[in-house]
Amino acid sequence: MKKIIILAIVAVSALFAQVNEAVEVPYISYEIKMGKGFETVDANCLMCHSFGYIINQGPQSKDFWYKKTIKMIEHFKAPITKEDTVIITDYLFQHYGNGKLK
Amino acid sequence: MQRRDFLKASVAASAVALSTSAFAGITTQPIDSRKPSKIAFPEKKPLITYSDRPPLLESPRETFSRSITPNDEFFVRWHMPDIPTYIDTEAYRISINGLVEKELSISLKELKNDFEQVEVTSVLQCGGNSRSAFKPIAGGIQWGSGAMGCAKWKGVRLSDILNRAGIKKDAQWIGFNGSEKAIYYETPNFVREMKLDELDDHVIVAYEMNGEDLPYLNGFPVRLIIPGHYSDSWVKMLSNITVTKEYQSLFFMDIAYRVPDNATESETPEKRFKTTKPIAIMNVKSVIGYPTNETVVYHNSHVVVRGVAWDDGHGIKEVLVSIDGGKTWNTSILEKDVDRYAFRGFRFSFKPTTYGKVTIMAKAINRLGEEQPLAENVLWNHGGYKYNGIDTVTIEVV
Ligand code: HEC
Repeated sequence: MKKIIILAIVAVSALFAQVNEAVEVPYISYEIKMGKGFETVDANCLMCHSFGYIINQGPQSKDFWYKKTIKMIEHFKAPITKEDTVIITDYLFQHYGNGKLK
Repeated sequence: MQRRDFLKASVAASAVALSTSAFAGITTQPIDSRKPSKIAFPEKKPLITYSDRPPLLESPRETFSRSITPNDEFFVRWHMPDIPTYIDTEAYRISINGLVEKELSISLKELKNDFEQVEVTSVLQCGGNSRSAFKPIAGGIQWGSGAMGCAKWKGVRLSDILNRAGIKKDAQWIGFNGSEKAIYYETPNFVREMKLDELDDHVIVAYEMNGEDLPYLNGFPVRLIIPGHYSDSWVKMLSNITVTKEYQSLFFMDIAYRVPDNATESETPEKRFKTTKPIAIMNVKSVIGYPTNETVVYHNSHVVVRGVAWDDGHGIKEVLVSIDGGKTWNTSILEKDVDRYAFRGFRFSFKPTTYGKVTIMAKAINRLGEEQPLAENVLWNHGGYKYNGIDTVTIEVV
């Protein structure tokens, strides 16, 4: 999962651009805990944002992860099935859970 | 004014909330233990990094010992993963359309040459700055206190641009789009709207930040600057301005960036308040830049506490500093007032006369007499917005 891109920033002083070519946003390699259900998270949750966006929430309850997944579906129209919602909640709770159901 | 009543009410209400419900939301100091990552993003020094797609970077505490935030330390917040990484400055246009007499398509050259150029030094703060103070967790990025900065912005008044286009009589709303895009076609795009009658001459379309081009990650080549307001509507890579009569219902307007519409702007996790309002203008706040929670100093050495204070533009009257955990408060020295919307630097020197832990606190008071509450007296809201508790650092004296 290590894809770190070296940035080339050229300091040219153009009329109106201190960076005169495309910038590259580096890839960050997050420490992702492997386990049952990860493929489902990989397939469903990393399309719109990085893993960092998810784990920044810190350890949370099962209910929290379930509701977060539902929020992605309702607010952001994430195309996630009912079965996958359950698998994702279980994975997140097991690896990024705080032990509490609610 | 409003905010003063709010403070009084908030103290009382929190006392009630704590005694009646074990599940009431509480607030503490925001998380302050994260370190800049090893990887630097384009045009930036390494910053605290939450996500690469979209890029989310926070400035460390040390940044706030100065009242102008350097461009390479300025925080970064995008909503969508697909952000332009190249801008053709010759071809770039800002379109102004909708209920206008004459549609415009303004090039960067025209923006810089055909309008009056103005400058404003203003704080840019995410409404969710310090969100990690709220428990239970409030939805969104768990920022510490570095989702903010203050820069000198140069650009053109939005009102001058709109006047050139000529606003039609029944126009009421202005919508702004940036160039960031969602990956999935059904995800709502990040579009913001502003009521035309809220527009004042301080709102500018800026192309320069601290005398340099805007960094890409801060919205190159142009972004909106709305001094005094939280940065949710400071649209980056501004490409389109549409004037309308009706308000367009949008996710990022109707659901995000809103607080409970009651006097204390608060609620409890079990009992959400039904109606909400936009987070709008900033409340009075200050942050200590030095020392930090890791500082170790010698007994009897000279320590200079430095930090920044700001509000929505009324201006800072004073910043009080406590070096005994809040028992007594001392007046600090304020830096020159560069702009009513800018960070006001403060400093306070002292010599620690005890050994061990010393807790330093800073409390800003604005010209309306509004002051920061203690962290535990900030009331909970589900979005974790508008935290402005008194900042605290604990140093060690050896
Ligand atoms: C269709 C796109 C999309 C998909 C798929 C998606 N998200 Fe999100 N997610 C978003 C957007 C958009 C945001 C918020 C962006 C903003 O506020 O600027 C977000 C934010 C978040 C946050 C931050 C907290 C918050 O409440 O905003 C978490 C956590 C999160 N997503 C978890 C997930 C998980 C878990 C999955 C997989 C079940 C997932 N996302 C799938 C679009 C998506």
